[in-house]
Amino acid sequence: MQQASDNSMLGIYVSVPFCRAKCSFCNFASGVGTPEAMESYVERLCAEIDGAGANAVSLGAELPRRVDTVYFGGGTPSLLAPQQLRRIFAALRRNFDVADGAEITLEAAPGQIGDAILAESQRLGVSRVSLGVQSFIDRESASVGRLHTERECIQEIVRLRAEGLIEVGADLIAGLPYQTAESWEHSLEVATGVGLTHLSVYMLEIDEDSRLGQEVIAGGKRFHAHGVPAEEISAELYEQACARLPRAGFTQYEISNFAGAGHRSRHNVKYWQRTPYLGFGLDAHSMLRTTTGAVRLANPDELGQYAGAQSAREISRGGVTEAFEETIFLGLRMDEGVDFQGLAAAFPNELTKPCAEAVRDLVAEDLMTDEDGRWRLTLRGRLVSNEVFGRLLEGVAV
Amino acid sequence: MDPKYIRNFAIIAHIDHGKSTLSDRLLEITGSLTQREMQAQVLDAMDLERERGITIKAHTVRMMYKASDGHNYQLNLIDTPGHVDFSYEVSRSLASCEGALLVVDASQGVEAQTLANAYLAISNGLEIIPVINKIDLPSADIERTKAMIEKSVGLPADDAVCVSAKTGLNVADILEAVVHLVPQPKGDPEAPLQALIFDSWFDAYKGVIILARIINGRLRRGDKIKVMSNNRQFEVDSLGVMTPKPIVLEELSAGEVGFFVATIKNVADTKVGDTITHVDRPCADALPGFEDIKSMVFAGLYTVDSHAHGMLRDALEKLRLNDASFNFEPESSVALGFGFRCGFLGLLHLEIIQERLEREYDLDLIITAPGVQYNITMTDGTVLTVDNPSRWPDPTEIEAIEEPVIIAKILTNEEYVGNILKLVEDKRGRQQNIEYVSETRVMLTYELPLNEIVLDFYDRLKSVSRGYASLDYHLSGTWISPMVKMDILIGGDPVDALSLIVHRDSAYDRGKVLVEKMRELIPRQMFEVAIQAAIGSKIIARSTVTAIRKNVIAKCYGGDISRKKKLLDKQKEGKKRMKRIGKVDIPQEAFLAVLKVGEE
Repeated sequence: MQQASDNSMLGIYVSVPFCRAKCSFCNFASGVGTPEAMESYVERLCAEIDGAGANAVSLGAELPRRVDTVYFGGGTPSLLAPQQLRRIFAALRRNFDVADGAEITLEAAPGQIGDAILAESQRLGVSRVSLGVQSFIDRESASVGRLHTERECIQEIVRLRAEGLIEVGADLIAGLPYQTAESWEHSLEVATGVGLTHLSVYMLEIDEDSRLGQEVIAGGKRFHAHGVPAEEISAELYEQACARLPRAGFTQYEISNFAGAGHRSRHNVKYWQRTPYLGFGLDAHSMLRTTTGAVRLANPDELGQYAGAQSAREISRGGVTEAFEETIFLGLRMDEGVDFQGLAAAFPNELTKPCAEAVRDLVAEDLMTDEDGRWRLTLRGRLVSNEVFGRLLEGVAV
Repeated sequence: MDPKYIRNFAIIAHIDHGKSTLSDRLLEITGSLTQREMQAQVLDAMDLERERGITIKAHTVRMMYKASDGHNYQLNLIDTPGHVDFSYEVSRSLASCEGALLVVDASQGVEAQTLANAYLAISNGLEIIPVINKIDLPSADIERTKAMIEKSVGLPADDAVCVSAKTGLNVADILEAVVHLVPQPKGDPEAPLQALIFDSWFDAYKGVIILARIINGRLRRGDKIKVMSNNRQFEVDSLGVMTPKPIVLEELSAGEVGFFVATIKNVADTKVGDTITHVDRPCADALPGFEDIKSMVFAGLYTVDSHAHGMLRDALEKLRLNDASFNFEPESSVALGFGFRCGFLGLLHLEIIQERLEREYDLDLIITAPGVQYNITMTDGTVLTVDNPSRWPDPTEIEAIEEPVIIAKILTNEEYVGNILKLVEDKRGRQQNIEYVSETRVMLTYELPLNEIVLDFYDRLKSVSRGYASLDYHLSGTWISPMVKMDILIGGDPVDALSLIVHRDSAYDRGKVLVEKMRELIPRQMFEVAIQAAIGSKIIARSTVTAIRKNVIAKCYGGDISRKKKLLDKQKEGKKRMKRIGKVDIPQEAFLAVLKVGEE
């Protein structure tokens, strides 16, 4: 089993669920907030950080004090006022020991990073900015409610690099309304040529949790739903990215993530390697080790509830079975896959054996590869990974 | 009680014409239940009966009523099922009564089922009291309903009791009519015991409970009794009546109906229609009894999880204790493993058994396409009886195939006659008669192959008539027909459990819609799945389930893996209801696709 990461170091996620406008594809608990709402949110956030130690004790969970990654996710964290960011950092530093050289990421929207917040971020130690670009084609960006143009995106990237930030990444979405192989090729070319170090490529998710998803399901025409490419096309766009990005030096290290050499997101890797992380803020999730396994926590996904909540709610407390399931479906997301020897050493035979049998079939179906006991998904396997995981874990009791 | 003050009566009504509501109202008026004990439709005790608003088993209830003549009467109401599948229950109930209420909905008129049961009651010599119900509805037409009863049933309806069971209006008049019109039971309390078993069921605590009508003599607690057909002897532990709460009594005497318990372990020992008498002082002759119930529809029952096969057998054995009208024997399928071939009275009966197995025994079932029983004459002169497509002989060795045929009576409004004629012709019907039973109501009498009825006939009849058609049928004989076995191939391999017997001329059409329906029902898999229909080695229809192209959660946002976990759990739950055949996961409902062909 791949266990390169260090269980003694903690990752911290800070949710900042405020945006200038909510994009049509967004299925996350975020929205437009007033300055007053943001202010009281930051207050609650700091209190939550201060209470984290006591909460972990009450849950019987181990809470490492040393922190090597911090991730400000959104929403649009770059909309925070400098003094707000300062207060959050102060809370983090008085409760945790943030290591020198920690990877500290700030998510941002192109054109929405003021000079002051940028300067304050860098002063506080932010080492990485992740930009929600989604597309370098203006019509596609506008169709889903993004507020930037291609030109603004490029300007923003150039500016961040000029300000001394080395780690600048971007998110792109395959399957936006009106997207075609040609327009997608354009976005990929700009992304790889403009000086980014990291790219996340997500396929548009059609579900009931976003306005666009609902409209597509209902077969309506609002939100440019009729322009959303067919599933077949989205799959092809994803394959196009998987083929195109490595040629430009962006190696795929996870289903949705590509990076230049040495530029992987250390924070995200923690999720897939099941190393402990702690989330603060709206709808933030945590995973902490216990003596018998792991406990997963979640905060409310509604602002009013979060404001009144005492502490994160426990959503599951896993033993061996849960750990095994997670090792499979999180581990296989990574390009390095799962090593059977490690798996067999860590888990009982009744869990690993049916899984190994399923792998044989999946290899035969060209959905997985098995190289000397190292299991990986093929490109086709990644596209239908939910099905593959289902097959692998079929024998594990619900 | 003196038979002079006993009245036994049944209620004949079409589904939804208000029989159960009326029964409830009668219980209320006679004070059999307090208001607090009233639960809507008390007599339909099984959960399934209440949910579906139908009566499956017969029920009896004793009510005490002080009539306008000043006397107290014992009224025994025998409630009967209204669906054609259970018409045998009706004939049993009628055999234990002297009178019947013929309940007709004032806005709907007489339906086929009502008519069939009314004829049955008349031929049993029962006094029929027409009751016109739902007169509170704006669409009620009392005069037209009376005319229809006179024309179709042939009964004078001038004195019909017009009521609203819902509001209670005039319901008391029904009780007066029962007292004055229904004859008192004949029979001599002093003669040797002669009692007719008209229903029985198994109770986990008490053993078999028997419903009986005492024709002659008296039955008391502690009596040594015997069953006349097999001479098996039992001792009566307790007896009594339902009011509808069970009330234990010391004695049941000639003319009365009630239940008794006698440590009987097996329902088969006390067949419905059998006669009970005393060991010491037996009666001379057994009562005429009833015809044996015949299974009309056959299907294979399997568990999705093949390890649960033993549980299915146990469950079937237990259900059979309660329901002598279905039978089963082991069979096996290449695709599904070990299962049971079961015979049912009809599709509703099949559905009820299925639901009870799934609910009461928590089994995930696969049911194969229902079919009928064929008599096949082979070229060497032997005759086979086949109710299972997997036992269908080689066509080159078949001389002739006889399929069961029914006489169907369909009663409808004249505007739907055209649609229905088209349907029955399509279903290979042969017309026997078309008759106006009132100005707007038409009775169609057709001979139809039972095979066509068990598939989707009833649903299609309802849809082409917008619900304004009712159906009654009984087996009438057989026809020689060119039937063929149609196989279904999934991913190129025939799946024996999906085979069905169809008429040669409709094989192509049926094959086409069937593979199309299966395409809708089989979820997409990671590879393309071909579905084909074939007769012998000839492919007659094909459809394709395209492969899943993408199913991936792109983002585990902020370490939120709960969606992923939920999805996995959902997948596992879904898989439990699927059967993997070869590499293809087939959901339970796909095995019954043939029944769903007409659905949107």
